[in-house]
Amino acid sequence: MTTLRAASRDEAMELVAALGRDFVSTLDIERTLASALRRIADHVGAEAGSLFMLEAAGKTLRCHASVGPTDIVGLTIAADQGIAGRAVQRNIGEIVRDVSRDPQFNRSVDQKTGFTTRSILCAPLSVKDERIGAIQLINKRGGDGLFDGDDLNLLAVLASSAALAILNARMAAKLVEQERVRRELELAAEIQRSLLPEAEADDFPVHGINRPARTVSGDFFDFFPLADGRICFALGDVSGKGMNAALLMAKAASLFRCLGKTIHQPGRLLAQINAEIAETATLGMFITMVVGIYDPRTGIPRFSNAGHEPLQLYAPDGSFTEFQAEMPPVGVVVGEPEQSFPEIAVPLGGGALYAFTDGVTEGYLETGKELGLAGLKEFLARNASEAVPRRLLRVAEALTQSQTSLRDDVTLLAVDDRAAAAQRASRPAPAPPAFDPSPVTVLRLHVPAVADRLRLIRTAVGEASRLVGCSEHVARDVTLAVDEACQNIIRHAYKDLPEGEIVVEIVRESGKLIIFLKDFAPTIDPKTVRPRNLEDIRPGGLGTHLIREIMDEVAFLEPPLAGGNVLRLGKRIA
Amino acid sequence: MKHQIKEDNGALVVALEGDVDLKTSPDARKILLDAVTRNLPMVVDLSGVLYIDSSGVASLIEAFQKARKSGHKFVLAAVSESALRVLNLARMDKVFAICPSVAEGLAKVR
Repeated sequence: MTTLRAASRDEAMELVAALGRDFVSTLDIERTLASALRRIADHVGAEAGSLFMLEAAGKTLRCHASVGPTDIVGLTIAADQGIAGRAVQRNIGEIVRDVSRDPQFNRSVDQKTGFTTRSILCAPLSVKDERIGAIQLINKRGGDGLFDGDDLNLLAVLASSAALAILNARMAAKLVEQERVRRELELAAEIQRSLLPEAEADDFPVHGINRPARTVSGDFFDFFPLADGRICFALGDVSGKGMNAALLMAKAASLFRCLGKTIHQPGRLLAQINAEIAETATLGMFITMVVGIYDPRTGIPRFSNAGHEPLQLYAPDGSFTEFQAEMPPVGVVVGEPEQSFPEIAVPLGGGALYAFTDGVTEGYLETGKELGLAGLKEFLARNASEAVPRRLLRVAEALTQSQTSLRDDVTLLAVDDRAAAAQRASRPAPAPPAFDPSPVTVLRLHVPAVADRLRLIRTAVGEASRLVGCSEHVARDVTLAVDEACQNIIRHAYKDLPEGEIVVEIVRESGKLIIFLKDFAPTIDPKTVRPRNLEDIRPGGLGTHLIREIMDEVAFLEPPLAGGNVLRLGKRIA
Repeated sequence: MKHQIKEDNGALVVALEGDVDLKTSPDARKILLDAVTRNLPMVVDLSGVLYIDSSGVASLIEAFQKARKSGHKFVLAAVSESALRVLNLARMDKVFAICPSVAEGLAKVR
């Protein structure tokens, strides 16, 4: 700059300032580039000019703006081609006083346009080592039409300030884009939070807490009460983090909410969620998930665990018992929706059942140490007297105290039986069930397998059910289930042949009504006996659905050696 | 199982009574499907049904679908408690239009 004439220097400074202002306030970089080039060309006094920018990872130079008789916007050349290419590669400006003597000069444009290039001034657009492109001015106005050293110095100053302005504008655009993405993530997170249940009063048995490591979370928990007072709950952890995990989380959570309202057996519910997810899940994504239902009147949760961290049962004496997953994670194995995953039922006895994601045990404490399973247990035991929400909050707080941000989403769910146990204790104990040491056979009936005898079977089963203490409603339901099972034998096992026989045996065993239905038809494959899909409204095939809907247990036993089939139906006497 | 068919001012009232089970449902099916072919709006009175099983429910579904196909209204009315329990278990309470009484059923189909 020292070589610039003083007057020209002041003008140049003014132009630099103007260029900076233009780029800072622009929303349209291309237009600002064009006006910057025009002002620079005017200022230096050039007949024409062009502004090239590097593209395609620095492999090509494309003209973004041009002034003068020929518009070459869009012209793309190799990044090392022409005078502009050379300026970019060397990262220094130059004057080609007479292009006819420079072999690097690209004549093709002149040939196409009829313009005559005599002299070129070219300066790189760069900030330190970050190369952006080059500005090229052609033919000095007036005189001999040739540029001189002062012109080059002037252009170099203007080009470097333009480069800085372009870089700033690009960064600003990137920030705007980042801000847009951030705002969208915030919206997604808000929708995600709305998928989590609202906090209940302190003495409600089920509570959960979720702290996402990023804006959105791949973890979830949910719970809702049923009309009969039982509470459905679930906790899941989608593999991976970020948006894809969050979307799959939303799907799993919605499936649980929706299917959980009608399917009240956790094993069947989880199997159905698995079938849905496996059918459509993206390859390689899966969910570890626990689904359960807790009855405050008995203090017993029934739950099913697909590939998730073991659940921890805290007993009031301070001990912990662990319950491992018995199935692979949801979405891994394609399954039948009618299938059932194994269930565990365990009395809490005033204690609490905890489910949590690995973000909890692998989270860092303030000391920089990992919480670990032992640490979590100690935490829960130490705060056992606290209200459940506070107990969970303590754990989440301990993990968010650490200087480092959360490693993984932190999610915990507790099913606490303390309040319910106290209520059970204060209520007069129901009459203890009759001493029932061994199974008692209540009824054994051999009947021909024909439609004509179904009424007889119904009468007998109804009476036997009432006899062992079933209510009128339960007796009627059980009668329907047995009738339907007998129909299956008549129609599908014996295929309506009249010689068959059915043996109905009813046994009372530790508070349950057990019904064995034996036939002597060829052994059938239990897998072919499936309830129909109720969405599909059509006559026929309802029987198996009714049996499963009514009975607590439905299982084909190992067929007897002599052949035939044995179906075992179980129902809690109520 | 017994049944009665009455025409009431341009609508058909089909009443089923007794047990609709595997033995009797073929009759129930025939009665219902024949009634549908008379091309009148139809009310099925289930007040006298003491027992109904899946085959009985299936007959109702088949008749309902046939009536709907031919563009006639088809409602169940005065459904007995035990029949309603089975319709609930089969999740068919959402499929059928169910009216508390035959009179209300008739008002609905007309």
